[in-house]
Amino acid sequence: MSDRSQLIVTGEPFTFDAERDAEFERLVKRYPTRESMIMPALWLTQEQQGWISAEAIAYIAERIGTYAAKVYELATFYTMYHLKPVGTYHICVCRTLSCYLRSKQEMIEFLADEIGIRPGQISNDGKFSLEEVECLGHCGTAPVVQVNGEFHEDMDVEKLKALLATLE
Amino acid sequence: MEVKILSAKFDIEDSHLLKTAEQHGAYSTLDKLFSMKPADVIEEVKNSGLRGRGGAGFPAGIKWSFLPKDLDRPVYLAVNSDESEPATFKDRYILVRDPHMLIEGIIICSYAIGCHVSYIYIRGEYTSQVRILQQAIDEAYEAGYLGENVAGKGFSLDVTVHRGAGAYICGEETALLESIEGKKGQPRSKPPFPAVVGLYDCPTIINNVQSIASLPFIIENGADAYKAYGTEKSSGTHLFGISGHVEKPGLYELPLGLPLMEVIEKVAGGVWKNRKLKGVIPGGSSTPVLTVDEAKTVTLDYESMAEHKTMFGSGGIVVLDETVDMVKLVENLIDFYHHESCGQCTPCREGLGWMLKIVKKLIAGDGSMSDIDLLVELCDNIEMKTVCVLSAACTMPVRSYLNKFRHEFEAYAKDKGSPHNDLGKE
Amino acid sequence: MAEMVKLFVNGQEVEVEAGKNLIDAVGAVGIEIPHFCYHPALGADGNCRMCLVGIEDGRPPLVPACKTPAQEGMKVRLDTDYIKKIQRDILEFELINHPVDCPVCDQAGECTLQDYYMTYSLEDSRMQVPQVTKGKKMDFGCGVIHDQERCVLCGRCVRFTRQITKTGELGIVNRTDAARVNIFPGKPLDNRYALNIVDICPVGAMTSEDFRFKQRAWFLKRDEGICHGCSRGCNIYIDHHREKYKDDIIYRYRARTNLLVNGYFICDEGRLSYRLENDNRQTETLVSTNKVSFDEGIKAVLDTLRAANKVLMLVSPDCTLEQMWAVKSIAALFGAALSGYSAAYIKDGDGDDYLICDDKAANRKGLELLQINTDRATFESDLNETDLFINFDNDLFFTPCNDPLKPLLESKRSIAICSRKLPVFSTASIVLPTASYTEYGGSVINENGVLQRFSKAVSKNVEGHDILEITRLLGGPVIDAERAWLEIRETVPILADVQPEHIPAEGLTLTTSEDDHVGS
Repeated sequence: MSDRSQLIVTGEPFTFDAERDAEFERLVKRYPTRESMIMPALWLTQEQQGWISAEAIAYIAERIGTYAAKVYELATFYTMYHLKPVGTYHICVCRTLSCYLRSKQEMIEFLADEIGIRPGQISNDGKFSLEEVECLGHCGTAPVVQVNGEFHEDMDVEKLKALLATLE
Repeated sequence: MEVKILSAKFDIEDSHLLKTAEQHGAYSTLDKLFSMKPADVIEEVKNSGLRGRGGAGFPAGIKWSFLPKDLDRPVYLAVNSDESEPATFKDRYILVRDPHMLIEGIIICSYAIGCHVSYIYIRGEYTSQVRILQQAIDEAYEAGYLGENVAGKGFSLDVTVHRGAGAYICGEETALLESIEGKKGQPRSKPPFPAVVGLYDCPTIINNVQSIASLPFIIENGADAYKAYGTEKSSGTHLFGISGHVEKPGLYELPLGLPLMEVIEKVAGGVWKNRKLKGVIPGGSSTPVLTVDEAKTVTLDYESMAEHKTMFGSGGIVVLDETVDMVKLVENLIDFYHHESCGQCTPCREGLGWMLKIVKKLIAGDGSMSDIDLLVELCDNIEMKTVCVLSAACTMPVRSYLNKFRHEFEAYAKDKGSPHNDLGKE
Repeated sequence: MAEMVKLFVNGQEVEVEAGKNLIDAVGAVGIEIPHFCYHPALGADGNCRMCLVGIEDGRPPLVPACKTPAQEGMKVRLDTDYIKKIQRDILEFELINHPVDCPVCDQAGECTLQDYYMTYSLEDSRMQVPQVTKGKKMDFGCGVIHDQERCVLCGRCVRFTRQITKTGELGIVNRTDAARVNIFPGKPLDNRYALNIVDICPVGAMTSEDFRFKQRAWFLKRDEGICHGCSRGCNIYIDHHREKYKDDIIYRYRARTNLLVNGYFICDEGRLSYRLENDNRQTETLVSTNKVSFDEGIKAVLDTLRAANKVLMLVSPDCTLEQMWAVKSIAALFGAALSGYSAAYIKDGDGDDYLICDDKAANRKGLELLQINTDRATFESDLNETDLFINFDNDLFFTPCNDPLKPLLESKRSIAICSRKLPVFSTASIVLPTASYTEYGGSVINENGVLQRFSKAVSKNVEGHDILEITRLLGGPVIDAERAWLEIRETVPILADVQPEHIPAEGLTLTTSEDDHVGS
């Protein structure tokens, strides 16, 4: 794992919008401790902002009543939390075992040629970002690709090309 | 060979909706359930021989009986839907195609152990799946199957979905609890065991999604009906995921105990592209690899796997054809475990990183024979010295590749290259 | 008395406290089980794996000692080849990514990793691939510098900020070998105990900016002492050294464990108060601002004393019991009024609910027990009437509450017997230098009535005389500490049975009541 601990300070304070605020209040009742809300709060932040800034972490800590360092720990530990902005379309290619055996690398190479980005990078126009992830639990339909969370199974270069064409 | 116990509703349209599910028998066990004593429910599950389907294979009923008798605190049930073991993709089908079977199972387990608050820990990557699951839970609440008065039986049960966020280690039961509590998923030392000190310091049972989803059948039809499938010590059915170099990869429900090669050939269509078999991973990436000869004699149950010095695991079968570069496959595996190591304890945190670098060095052509010996030694040095078994989940299979395919590693050391196809160009 | 059990370590039977974890249990009988992450104040974490021991016939047979309570009949093995190999292997894993910073690392010479390597390993490195690199020289605030590469991720520092100070500034971010300790950006360490982190870090990952690169640990002489920063009386180590051609100076204080007084830690202010022992010391004897010899100074004081009519002596609340008794005795001898007025030593509201006291005096209870008057009105009236004010090292202007007394004080003829150059002594016509607390031994009583004894630590090139010695030189009846104790025992009922040499290491709790004060 590379170092995820360099947070981005946007300079803008962060706060939940009305929808996220309501959801936070709904969820907090379902746990006996407020600490349990750190992960749900990080998810709400990512839903709202697309990624998690330093200010958001400070806000979550304050809202829950815990240490900023603790929220910081969890934000870096759990790799699905984006700590820097991602593209309009965030592409995840599974790289483990069965997807590896069924040529996930061809997807990676294709995307490098087609969009010009390697895993960990974001395209210049901000449209696409790419991440290699570990087993996505779709091994029977390997290789699998996720775009903004939606699964695309049984992929090959042709299908991937067609998929990209549909992403405006 | 396939059966339809767990997967009975999988192919029915809209089976995830309550209406459809009920039409096909969902929640029909509740009357019978609440007429039994909780202790009797535990007995029934014990008798069924149901073993944990997450990978450890611990008898579920026995785990439940570890709960302390005098409870001055609430009991929790945590349902493990983290499903991150490479080659495993079975629980997802239950979540998407028969979530009400899972909810019914949660009700059964909760009643048996006296739990009124349950959490389903679902891996963060399951985005569409969590939506379907939550919808099913909402439907169940509306219909009165969850909430203050489950099915009008005066039993209260709340179910909350807690989303993970990309950590395989949270599939380890104590790391899962840590994660729900709002901490990093770093496993706890055992003892104490979760049945005594679990979630929020309270007695807690953790079971895999499939284990819980197996309960409605057991309650409905009895332990004996469950034992009618499988073998004496490995009863019941399992959702086997077959992937890798086969013609028909996919999820297949089969009784335990069938011969592995028969399953690969008859159910999954055999090795693809008319290639030759090289090896089989029997139960998820954490299980030692089987050679072709070993694959021919093993059956899909806990005992046979143990005899062959591997594990039943999660039942994720991966077929490897003759083109597979075992050294690069090992690199892929170590890379996974290293990436997923929680970083808490010294041998795993430092050792897996070291092993990865050594393998990469070998593949780059800078390795030597002593590097291979070092890799074997490191497997021994790391294994069982750690807080949890993630390290063993890496070292046990890696050791098996080093033993059984050592010539491929030596080829890298001596010839600085490999004769195999380059599957994973980095 | 704790319940004891008999168990076996390496085949030998030992008696240990039941239920204690094995590290502490067998540690108490002198057997070391190596460990990094366990700390008695912070509990067991179980992550370093260095304390793995074998339990014969145990299930499981290999356990972390920090998480294993001592039980009757347990057969612990530290000496098998298996365990020794595990210890070597764990050290190997700790070392593969550890930078070889020893030549520039403060911790060298007192580093757990170095020490364990020498004791349990001595293996050559087999690491031929690039090491993991992380941040170095990171300013974490409060004078704590962090080096992420040296860190063994024992987690003690994080647990300290969460369990002890409850300020939670530190965390361990990332997974796997990318894991590292860090602060949340913009929220550095911000508590009054942060430098304890430097003490508890087993390696050189946490260093003190104040001590950084100043001295090698093996040159430091370590003496036990008691901090005089407030009336808690925290136990400290005084680490001092005389460099060639220079004087014996103190390089740092470290926390010393005393479960009765301060537990395992000390506050940062107290820790850094060693500087007050080194700097700004009064070393010269002055008569009317002229430098004279000490003997000449003593003679000048005697002459002035004998010529005075109404003498007022003021004693410092930092003085030891023995010194206070000596001053009380010489005051009686010369018929002088005696005060211990030291309201300025109290900083209202500065104390906390942990170690720091409002009262910055080290031995106010000593004044109470010896019934030395501390009343302000009495002091002021005595000061008004006096024609000679002798101040035994009492800083009346430590806080501003006595500022209104400045004109009155300046108008009086005064003699200062002081360890430091402070404004309160600036108008004295005779200044005698005296030793400070690291340079003498004695007894003090803390805020909770715990009597503690401490010994001389630092020996300056020019030895200073402590206050008791100075009263003797001035003709006072108390010739030494032994004599002081004899007399104190006769007059202070609560101390009647106290044998100074037999005061327990952690101190003696006195119970005080009105009846126990010395009659005069």
